[in-house]
Amino acid sequence: MSGVTLNNVIKRYGDVQVIHGIDLQIEDGEFCVFVGPSGCGKSTLMRMVAGLEETTEGEIHIGSRDVTRVDPAQRGVAMVFQTYALYPHMTVKENMGFGLKMNGHPRDEIKSKVAEASRILKLDDYLDRKPAALSGGQRQRVAIGRAIVRGPDVFLFDEPLSNLDAELRVEMRVEIARLHKEIGATMIYVTHDQVEAMTLADKIVVLKFGRIEQVGAPLDLYRDPDNKFVAGFIGSPAMNFVRGTVRGVAVEVPAFAGTVRPDVALPAEGMEVIVGLRPEHAELDPSGDTFRVELTEALGGVSYAYLTAKTGETLIFEERGDRRSRPGDTVSLNYEPRRLYVFDAESERRIR
Amino acid sequence: MQNPRKPASRLSQTQAAWILLAPFLFTYGLFLIYPFFRGFWISLHDWNLLAVAFNPDAKQFVGLRNYERVMWGRNIEWGPLAAPFWQLLGIAGLAVSVLLRGTKRLSRFNAIALGVASVLVIILPGFHPGEEGRWYDRRFWPTVANTIVFVGLAVPGVTISALLLAAALNRETRAMGALRTLFFLSQVLSVTVVTLIWQIMFSPRQGLIANITETFGGTPINWLTDEQFAMAAIVIATIWWSLGIAMILFLAGLQDISKDIYEAAALDNAKGARAFWYVTLPNLKRTVTLVVVLQIILHFQVFGQSHLMTQGGPNDTTQVLVRYIYQTGFRDSELGRASAMAVFLFVIMGTFSVIQFIVGREKT
Ligand SMILES: Nc1ncnc2c1ncn2[C@@H]1O[C@H](COP(=O)(O)OP(=O)(O)OP(=O)(O)O)[C@@H](O)[C@H]1O
Ligand SMILES: [Mg+2]
Repeated sequence: MSGVTLNNVIKRYGDVQVIHGIDLQIEDGEFCVFVGPSGCGKSTLMRMVAGLEETTEGEIHIGSRDVTRVDPAQRGVAMVFQTYALYPHMTVKENMGFGLKMNGHPRDEIKSKVAEASRILKLDDYLDRKPAALSGGQRQRVAIGRAIVRGPDVFLFDEPLSNLDAELRVEMRVEIARLHKEIGATMIYVTHDQVEAMTLADKIVVLKFGRIEQVGAPLDLYRDPDNKFVAGFIGSPAMNFVRGTVRGVAVEVPAFAGTVRPDVALPAEGMEVIVGLRPEHAELDPSGDTFRVELTEALGGVSYAYLTAKTGETLIFEERGDRRSRPGDTVSLNYEPRRLYVFDAESERRIR
Repeated sequence: MQNPRKPASRLSQTQAAWILLAPFLFTYGLFLIYPFFRGFWISLHDWNLLAVAFNPDAKQFVGLRNYERVMWGRNIEWGPLAAPFWQLLGIAGLAVSVLLRGTKRLSRFNAIALGVASVLVIILPGFHPGEEGRWYDRRFWPTVANTIVFVGLAVPGVTISALLLAAALNRETRAMGALRTLFFLSQVLSVTVVTLIWQIMFSPRQGLIANITETFGGTPINWLTDEQFAMAAIVIATIWWSLGIAMILFLAGLQDISKDIYEAAALDNAKGARAFWYVTLPNLKRTVTLVVVLQIILHFQVFGQSHLMTQGGPNDTTQVLVRYIYQTGFRDSELGRASAMAVFLFVIMGTFSVIQFIVGREKT
């Protein structure tokens, strides 16, 4: 059992630098999720931990071992690929046992470990099939089984569920959570999916352009983002942002047609700021006329109302209950001032 | 669908198909089917090329006698120990096929193929002339044997070297692209150029190989006139010549194997040679089969290399079937006998074509 430590890790492809000095500590047995926009370097970072990409500078430790220049097979990691990457010519059984076979384990041991993994993943009925004769979900389970059988210290998942349909995703998500509980190994997981990140993670790492924006527990990131990027990235639909100017102890917000009094230490008079408010933290008041409802999306339990302010800024808010607005309505907002987030307009850092 | 206004102007699908197929069928019939049956027809006659050219009635129907004259002899006997090496090899092959099939290590198709080949190796070399007996045509079977030896050396030679080359050149750098083109280039040369190049290469006085041997203090081998090396020389030239197409086929096969699989294999501790053995080869199985069968069919028809480099010599050691057919038909004017041999060659190649067809349809 071992955690993973990254020390000022840098990756360059020729002149292009894609990872800019990452420091990260992942505890033993922790479920760590990397999120970030496409192209921010999530896969690259994970592949560097796996040893599939060379680390240009910095150090990677697994447990107490420096593995920066160690061969992928000797790092004690197993990876589950987005494309499954099963060996097409081998049966499910052979796919799962291949790693042990290559490491010279005796046949009986391989057999019992494969049997154990296939029991955990309910693959018993498919052991003699080839991958081509399996459904997407079954293939993904085989890929996970292949990782389990090797008994690694660290599991790496690169968007493992993104090729599955919505229902299977939910099912496999629960399965992965169960697996983590059962095995207790350190896991690193890359995903685009908010729900996966929030539900699975002990710790979320938000990346942008190859840098860490913030690291923390899911709810900490949601409640207490360090900057506008994290505030906008965590939570779905994303937080609403509007421009504002500091006026004494209040902020003048043209989009709200008035001033707001957030519960923070405001900067000097006249400074430009950005005010944020989550879609779920306000109620629409049909008697007001600050915003026009452009469009609504009814999902059943909730609806999302797309509003335009007189300044042209657009915002999204959530509505529950029986009375919901319709396109063309005019509304205003009711919210608690403590729900407001304020960011520096220049640096986009949170003002607390 | 019926069109009530213009009933005659529409063709049924079947009619359209026939019309579209007609040009192909006509050409195919004229240039392949007809000559084939014509050849078979000629093989049933005592047919002297020159005599029949001057007088169409100079041929005589002799039934299967040409086949007998070519392939049989007087007092031919069969003995279980006439060619002990081959026959024991056949028995060993038979045992292996039964054993591997028993333990499910071999697919049924492969087991049957190996079994049939083994039985042939047990039976065919067992025929030999008895006391006072002799083959009617002493050169035919040795020529067939030479051809088989040639195929047996050239096909694995081409396949293995093309496979290794393809694996080595399967990279996206410019240098590799240039090398791929270079290796493929030999393919477009005509047999005359190829044999010329290799005659120079093998020349004991100014040849490259002789020069290398001499630098290391050896005596140059006279490749093309030495009974032990002449066949090897032809095989080497042939491998060089037909490497390109096999390499391209393997490269195409390699491109089909996804990169992730190699990454998964690297994590599973299979890299380099082991990745090649456990991941690349099994995924190339179909391509290997295709290349092998295509090469077998191609190399049974070897002619130019033998004809131009060694003239079948020394002492007939590089005499091959097509060259013998050519000599019988066009030098000795024995068109009937030559046609009988050609039919024999057709049967061999036809067998491999059928194998190729079956394997191509087999599911992986
Ligand atoms: N071989 C390469 N050469 C140059 N740049 C590369 C190479 N591979 C990746 N990159 C760059 O590195 C950056 C990070 O890529 P990476 O695949 O890690 O992104 P990602 O966060 O996983 O994105 P996604 O969410 O779309 O999978 C990208 O900007 C990509 O263009
Ligand atoms: Mg990625």
